[in-house]
Amino acid sequence: MAAAVAVPEHKLSESPNSRAIEIFDWTVTAKTGPISSAAQCDALQASLGIPHPEMMFGYNLLQIKHRPSGWTYAFRSEDALRGVKSGPLEDGDGGVKVGYADTWLKSRTGADSQIPLPQMVATKPYDWTYTTTYAGSLDDAGSRNAQWTPAEPSNAHHSIPIAELSRPDPILFYAEIPLFDDELHDNGASHLLVRVRVMPTCIFILSRFTLRVDNVLFRAHDTRVYHSFASAPPLVVRETRGWEAPHERVKRALPRRDDLMPLTDPNFICKVLSDMPKEVSQEAGAGTGWRGLGTVVQVTTLQP
Amino acid sequence: MPSDLDSQIEQLIQCNPISEEQVKRLCIKAREILIEESNVQVVDAPVTICGDIHGQFFDLMELFKIGGTCPETNYIFIGAALPSPTCLVPMNDPGDFVDRGFYSVETFLLLLALKVRYPDRITLIRGNHESRQITQVYGFYDECQRKYGSSNVWRWCCEVFDYLALGAIVDGRVFCVHGGLSPALQAIDQIRTIDRKQEVPHDGAMCDLLWSDPDDITGWGLSPRGAGFLFGADITKTFAHHNAIDLIARAHQLAMEGYKLMFDQTIVTVWSAPNYCYRCGNVASILELDEHLVQEYKVFQHAPSDVRSVPLKRPPADYFL
Repeated sequence: MAAAVAVPEHKLSESPNSRAIEIFDWTVTAKTGPISSAAQCDALQASLGIPHPEMMFGYNLLQIKHRPSGWTYAFRSEDALRGVKSGPLEDGDGGVKVGYADTWLKSRTGADSQIPLPQMVATKPYDWTYTTTYAGSLDDAGSRNAQWTPAEPSNAHHSIPIAELSRPDPILFYAEIPLFDDELHDNGASHLLVRVRVMPTCIFILSRFTLRVDNVLFRAHDTRVYHSFASAPPLVVRETRGWEAPHERVKRALPRRDDLMPLTDPNFICKVLSDMPKEVSQEAGAGTGWRGLGTVVQVTTLQP
Repeated sequence: MPSDLDSQIEQLIQCNPISEEQVKRLCIKAREILIEESNVQVVDAPVTICGDIHGQFFDLMELFKIGGTCPETNYIFIGAALPSPTCLVPMNDPGDFVDRGFYSVETFLLLLALKVRYPDRITLIRGNHESRQITQVYGFYDECQRKYGSSNVWRWCCEVFDYLALGAIVDGRVFCVHGGLSPALQAIDQIRTIDRKQEVPHDGAMCDLLWSDPDDITGWGLSPRGAGFLFGADITKTFAHHNAIDLIARAHQLAMEGYKLMFDQTIVTVWSAPNYCYRCGNVASILELDEHLVQEYKVFQHAPSDVRSVPLKRPPADYFL
């Protein structure tokens, strides 16, 4: 048994809808509040040009700030939704229809349809699944204008240390920040949830997008941001991973065939998708050609 | 039966499920009553219209506190009584599932027991969640299994769903429906010809009534999802004009302020599940129509978190990777 990790000095603060921790050179702030009001949603809709998700947590925010350099990185719903395709879906967007779309349309237009389809106006096309590869927002690049650059595979510091993160060190600060949720009119679910934990040795963030379209597919996009307090100069590692698989394939991984509840659990979905061979869930996916598949690791060095 | 039923209602109000045998008898009795109802129930004002409840039992108790008890108050429930999948996502703590306070069985059975006891004082309209397909996949089926150890209760409830009315008309002037309009229907009278005693179909007028949404468009639009209709202000106003109605009251969509009027007050979305999914922080409302059909929206908050209601607690710290 290794010696317990020393808990560094830190300061916690809290107000009704906001909590923060100051530790070493960093301030981490998590804000969580009710869903946006009708007026806020209308304004957002006008600005984004797409209907907002059913549950829109416009107030919610996770922000980490490196005080010496001013580098500030954040996760917020409005920015995440800017990554959702507005307009006709094209190659790479990974657009899908609901499972019964063909049957539905045929029943309205086919020879045996009892009621012909009325004259339809064009509704504004957009990605109704709210798929986003959002990996956070650079609120302030800081004094030396840090950029994300590709990680060097040979550099051990340029990856996220799972062993360190698996250690049961005390969690000094923890928050879950939902950014949006939509039930896709009961055709599945689309979620974006950000989690953060500040440990004695590091800051670790996981922003997880999960999508289920019933009888069509599962999709996930994870963004992990990691900073070790021991890195000098301060280094931030960002890893994004996208997966996809046909609905049926994920369903086969259910522990009990008659219990479908795990299919509503983002953690179960991501576990199944990430356990599949890379060629399946990160390359072939569900055959939608979605550009979010695959893994990208990047780093940024902060200069005070 | 009334005295039996009264004690069952008493029990359900305490959020205690009734026995399997009692559920069976209740469902049979409910079906006998519902089968006599027309697709569009005729209701007299004054009446109170409620939107989606989504299995939030303790919030339903708040609703009755604000709106009055049944039978003293005449009610129309246009919403989905049963929860939606998102609410059931245990987020990061699957063990949290049970104590999150899912009481869909008690919620639905209480409304049903009130219906059987006071058939003329409560009207239940079918929502899109009152379907075999949706309840089997998520939530309600599991809850029945967990509480009764068999799928019988789920099956009997599904049989009741098939008999629920598709709409209601208050004094000929306010039309109540769960989702919205259908391009296949110009007149409310046409709804009366639908054979409603079936699982919610994926297409046709019955499907539209439970699923369609108003939208800021002109005319009819096809949902970008590939199935389902959107209807604009012109469609809504024409429908209101042709049918000589003042208002369409519908549920189906979350409204942060508890209700949302659209299209020069010709349509309103009523939402009656406060703090939806125990994390949205929204208020809920009910719509009271007095004897002159004057509208009053009564807004209410979620139930104070009692032991069995839901935890407004913070999620436990988790060593996520």
